[in-house]
Amino acid sequence: MAKIMGIDLGTSNSAAAVVLGGKPTIVPAAEGATVGGKAFPSVVAFSKDGDLLVGEPARRQAVTNPTGTVIAFKRKMGSDHIFKLNGKEYKPQQISAFILQKIKKDTEAFVGEKIEKAVITVPAYFDDNQRQATKDAGTVAGLDVVRIINEPTAASLAFGLDRSKEEMKILVFDFGGGTLDVTIMELGGGVFEVMSTSGDTQLGGTDMDNIIMDYILDEFKKKHGTDLSTDKTAMSRIREAAEKAKIELSSIMETDINLPFIYQDQSGPKNLELRLTRAKLEELINPIVEKCRPSVTKALEDAKISPSDINKIVMVGGPTRMPLVKKFLASVIGKESESGVDPMEAVAIGAAIQAGIIAGDVTSDIVLLDVTPLTLGVEVLGGVRESLIQRNTTIPTSKTKVFTTAADNQTAVTIHVVQGERPMAADNVSLGSFNLTGILPAPRGVPQIEVKFDIDANGIINVGATDLATKKEAKITIEASLKLSKDEIEKLKQDAEKFAEEDKKKREEVELKNEAESYIYTVEKLVNQDLKDKITQEQGIKITDAMKELKEVLDKGSTEIKTKLDALKNIVNEISTELYKNVTPTPGANQDAGAGSQSGSTTEQKTSAEKQGTNQNKDQDKKNSN
Amino acid sequence: MSEETDESIKASKEESARVGKIDDPTIAELKEQLENEKNNVKSCEEKLKRSLADFDNLKKRTSIDIETNVNSQVDKLMLKFLTIYDDFIRGKDVLAKQKINVEGLEAIIKNMNALLLEHEVTPIVALGEIFDPTIHEAISVKEDPLLDDGTITNEIRKGYKLSDRILRPSLVEISKKPNTSKEVVDKNG
Repeated sequence: MAKIMGIDLGTSNSAAAVVLGGKPTIVPAAEGATVGGKAFPSVVAFSKDGDLLVGEPARRQAVTNPTGTVIAFKRKMGSDHIFKLNGKEYKPQQISAFILQKIKKDTEAFVGEKIEKAVITVPAYFDDNQRQATKDAGTVAGLDVVRIINEPTAASLAFGLDRSKEEMKILVFDFGGGTLDVTIMELGGGVFEVMSTSGDTQLGGTDMDNIIMDYILDEFKKKHGTDLSTDKTAMSRIREAAEKAKIELSSIMETDINLPFIYQDQSGPKNLELRLTRAKLEELINPIVEKCRPSVTKALEDAKISPSDINKIVMVGGPTRMPLVKKFLASVIGKESESGVDPMEAVAIGAAIQAGIIAGDVTSDIVLLDVTPLTLGVEVLGGVRESLIQRNTTIPTSKTKVFTTAADNQTAVTIHVVQGERPMAADNVSLGSFNLTGILPAPRGVPQIEVKFDIDANGIINVGATDLATKKEAKITIEASLKLSKDEIEKLKQDAEKFAEEDKKKREEVELKNEAESYIYTVEKLVNQDLKDKITQEQGIKITDAMKELKEVLDKGSTEIKTKLDALKNIVNEISTELYKNVTPTPGANQDAGAGSQSGSTTEQKTSAEKQGTNQNKDQDKKNSN
Repeated sequence: MSEETDESIKASKEESARVGKIDDPTIAELKEQLENEKNNVKSCEEKLKRSLADFDNLKKRTSIDIETNVNSQVDKLMLKFLTIYDDFIRGKDVLAKQKINVEGLEAIIKNMNALLLEHEVTPIVALGEIFDPTIHEAISVKEDPLLDDGTITNEIRKGYKLSDRILRPSLVEISKKPNTSKEVVDKNG
């Protein structure tokens, strides 16, 4: 079925979203992201030459062409109002259609296919006339408007409230750039019913920006005695800085506004330096936030309910990101608002979800894919947890990894399956273990044991181990693993964070120990076999002594492992460098190559042994079960 | 399922009951089962194909998303850098006016310009050009009988492009020819 897009046709900004791969995604405006995020201004203009401008370019030329530019035409939808642009007359729905056409074009470019159908949102208070006009605008734009839904309903859909089985009363607080809409709805049996609406058409985030700018100007005037409000360059810099400070203060407690060389007089250049705290910002904008109170009270009164009857609060619009706005509403209603969706995108996202349901992109018969709540792995050498399936991996899924033995002639391995986020196996939840026996006796690091984790759609884990040489297999099925309670999962995650530092240290220690053991093994082999006749007795003793020292500190678990390991490495490196020096190339190309390949093979052997050593540290199975 | 088939199933069931083979499914029942299974397989296949297609599309979309995200992060970083770059030039200009040697600062600016160029960040030409809302943003209009309508007379903030994306439009003042019709009215008045 063809895609249907969701459109938030707003008074000051418009946005679109579409379900892609089952997920609602905001369509970025073709001219790129602006202060308004991926949305674009609902502005339409005709230039003097008769060119149609929509969105950002239309806004940029608005002051130069007031008679050819229309803003806030949404307020005229459904009325007989006629806009006169460059001598031509347009109905509000025709102007809206220009916005919809742009959205259609941008969405088609973004999705890569033709889009003919749309769900469009309207304010809850829109009457039939206004809704019909919105539908007509869609038709003019070449869109089949399959449904008109209320903006607060769309926002509630975005927050997933429709999925709740319970009946509830929802307050939607839509605080945009220039308007406030408060809607109270009742949700029951999957149906949203509007109980009341109220609002203020002259209240919004723009007022806040102006207050912050005035404050900055005042402070500068107090300090330097100069009024910057007539200096256009200074004003454009201050506006930008005010906006930035406002956004920053939603996440941090104070910010510095730093505008060097903002002004110059006879006494020299002046800098605007000002520290703005969140407390100060809140003091400044509090009068605006307080102006929202009557609208909320009225909506409650009209719905004939008290604040405590409200079950959920949904926030829409950029200014609702501010902690003060959240705090204000929480104090009025006595509840925290819903979170998790960008309040500037909520309406478009909700419209896309509704569109997705109609198009069949979001249907109830789609298999709900579960995820593994915690990381699954096996215990390897030194008690380290080696993860195979990371947490939050969508299931069903499977993953294989090849491990090897930790000791020479090891004929069996134990596969210990653990679940959790901590690097040491013992700190995680053990799900079970099994042995794979009958491995052909071989030096450590040679056997290849493939471990396969497979989780089916029901969360049942099958872990199998296969010796790739003998094809011998062993396996285990774990059924209850994913059935950890929510609290247990949370605790395991929290533990992982709490002990992160300590765990890291522990893992590093074990890894160092593994590295040291593996290096000793490699060097022993080198000294006793490959380099037996090539090194002097003195060199041999030097290596053996260093190795002995390393072994001693290893046994004691001392902190000197690193130093001793490095010392041994240095000795081995010195000797091998010397060995190479002594290799005298004999003349003649063939012989040359022969000599090269001989020493090359030694190095390669050494390198590969070292490599194996590293692998052992990482992937080796824990222990010899003999 | 048609009525006839329902009837025949019923009849064959009765017959089975008579001959005492209640548990054995009849041919019709088996056919029905087979038909159901066939439909089931068909719908599963359809879902699988859709899922595979969705996955394939998702892969393509993901690579586009990554590119978009990288671009948007680069844009954000460049925008922040440009603010400081502007301040630096302002500082240098102030010092130059005070007849202080700014050669070193100019060398730094040269390096910054090279960095911008390396990342395909280029200034938008504005002064003296005709206003274009796709790259310029007008913040005021001044009447000027000598200039063409929409000529940019003052650049309040320089605009920049990154490759072909607008990082920020130039903030400009533009000219407008005096309203002649208004003049006529005034004269008459």
